[in-house]
Amino acid sequence: MSKKENPNIHKTTSPPNMKLVKEFRDPETKEVGFKFIDYWISEDKTLFQTHLHYDQLYTWRMGELSPYALGLLDGKLMGTKCPKCGDVFFPPRVNCWNLNCKLMKTEWVELAQTGRVHTYTVAGWSGRSSLKRLPFVLAYVVLDGVTTAIANEIREIKPWDAEFDMPVKVKWVPKEQRIGAITDFYFVPADRWEPSPMNAEKERIKKLCEPVYEWVKTLK
Amino acid sequence: MTETRKVCIVAGNTSPFDYNNYHMTIEGMAANVMHETMEDLPEFLLRDIDFVIYSHFSVHFGKQLAAEWIIHDHLGLVGIPHFRVENGGNTGGSALYAAYCLVKAGMADVCPVIGWETMDNVSQSQGAEFIALAADTRYELLVGGIYPIFYAAGALKWMKENKMTEEDFALIGMKNRNNAMDNPKAQWYRNEHKYLTVDDVMNSRLIAYPLKKYDCCLMTRGLAIVIVCSEEYAKEVAKDSGYVTIDGVGLSSCTIRAGDRTAFPGWTERYGAGYPDLTEFAACRNAAERAYKRAGIEWKDSHKQIDVAEIHDAFSSSECQIYKALGWADTDTIAEFVRNRETFMGGSIPTNPGGGLMGYGHPVGATGLMSAIECFYQLTGKIPQKHLSKKTEVPDARVGLVNSHAGTGTSISNFILRTAEGGR
Repeated sequence: MSKKENPNIHKTTSPPNMKLVKEFRDPETKEVGFKFIDYWISEDKTLFQTHLHYDQLYTWRMGELSPYALGLLDGKLMGTKCPKCGDVFFPPRVNCWNLNCKLMKTEWVELAQTGRVHTYTVAGWSGRSSLKRLPFVLAYVVLDGVTTAIANEIREIKPWDAEFDMPVKVKWVPKEQRIGAITDFYFVPADRWEPSPMNAEKERIKKLCEPVYEWVKTLK
Repeated sequence: MTETRKVCIVAGNTSPFDYNNYHMTIEGMAANVMHETMEDLPEFLLRDIDFVIYSHFSVHFGKQLAAEWIIHDHLGLVGIPHFRVENGGNTGGSALYAAYCLVKAGMADVCPVIGWETMDNVSQSQGAEFIALAADTRYELLVGGIYPIFYAAGALKWMKENKMTEEDFALIGMKNRNNAMDNPKAQWYRNEHKYLTVDDVMNSRLIAYPLKKYDCCLMTRGLAIVIVCSEEYAKEVAKDSGYVTIDGVGLSSCTIRAGDRTAFPGWTERYGAGYPDLTEFAACRNAAERAYKRAGIEWKDSHKQIDVAEIHDAFSSSECQIYKALGWADTDTIAEFVRNRETFMGGSIPTNPGGGLMGYGHPVGATGLMSAIECFYQLTGKIPQKHLSKKTEVPDARVGLVNSHAGTGTSISNFILRTAEGGR
């Protein structure tokens, strides 16, 4: 007796045959495994320390989430929608979050590239990979028609000019530079938006940003 | 469910918490802290241990998987069952929760919880990025986010909605660092070592608006041990030194991505639409409701029924948000609650007298345990012995709250501890 196929099971091509390759490896990207680069001894010769360098490449298989990454390459924001309850997700959820929908498989939908700032901050410090672009505005934006908020940077704005509920639109990095990751796009103020006049809080944020600009200039 | 067996804490200590100036391996720290614990509790023997829960967040800091095996072996405990708990910033609270469950269920009688992190193995900005690997890397880390940035984005909206100011947050940053100046093991005491004013906090460098450097916790090398056990064992070894019972426990969860808190169906069902948004800590509220219920604490009077609290002040803003999630204040009263210094020494509910994450330090796997240890000291009269003075002692404290918090509020635990009868 043949078992009826469950339509909520995710299926991906197998074997995958990953043939269409675009490489953009920086020549500086080296995989050396374990490598000690120095040692240090305290002046009183009682303590020893050393530095270990260890790096590796990770394969990120996007699997059933691949339509999201492929969309980015194409300049499309692909989110998902639950056919039962209608919630729309970006970042995409491939199964609905509503327990009543019993892990219903969601459908891929192309999203509007406009939205509003739900909340934001002006970053003056960050992780190692992001220090040189400080200060920047990181916002949680609710795209039009979407249930959830997505975090990304707002550029083309003075950091102290960002505000709650401001309209933003998506801007893409040039097509040939896209890598299929969230950094393929960022937000910029919507065309009709004008910054509000300076006020005490904006002056305060501007003052807090000044030493950050100076500090970033000293980074190698 | 019948809850008959009581679970107790009879001892606890930490190593010095430090960054860059404390050279000690994890097994060396564990042996030192175990020595201090055996001095505090002479009748406790390593032979009595029948289970060990290890509490450690990120293997990235040590480049060592299953590092707990090194400690367990070194302490001579081979043959005793063990496993490690990892749950982000709530690793310590979750490990304590696991030990509680084991003892409660009769699966163990003497179950130390041993937690650590060695965050000074890498630079601060690399460390921040390692921790941010607990955010959804595909969406949040890649856009430049680290936890202070995610928290700041939530805190800015929260600040506006609750009519709070940067100065209100700065007050809390000042409080915890100044409390730490009475605590010789605290990183702030050992490293920067100075008393702060609100202006000092306001003038410290921008991290992510509205948070400045002194609104943020410390990255730390450190280890902590808490001895969790049955009441029978506590009566046997700690009748003179004093002990506490764990009367309430609560653990809850929220979304990994803060941006998904706009309309999560489970929260809408429990608390109504629009909650928690990116501003409130629903998992903290939910975990507090569970812990209060088990301990017989009433929600509306919770801050009057609790004498002292050690909570997860990863940021000055989040400490304020936690006050609200614990039911101590609401949107109308929170600003006044903070400005009245209700959580300072001498206030109605002194919070983080030990210094908290901003003053004592935040070696992730050890942090929740540090909070439990400080609360245990308060409830058993040990502050004069463990701190430099009585300035940071809450007189006659008998009910304490311990809070441990992960992600942007993604996993949160709360505990109610009570002084055992004749326990101080």
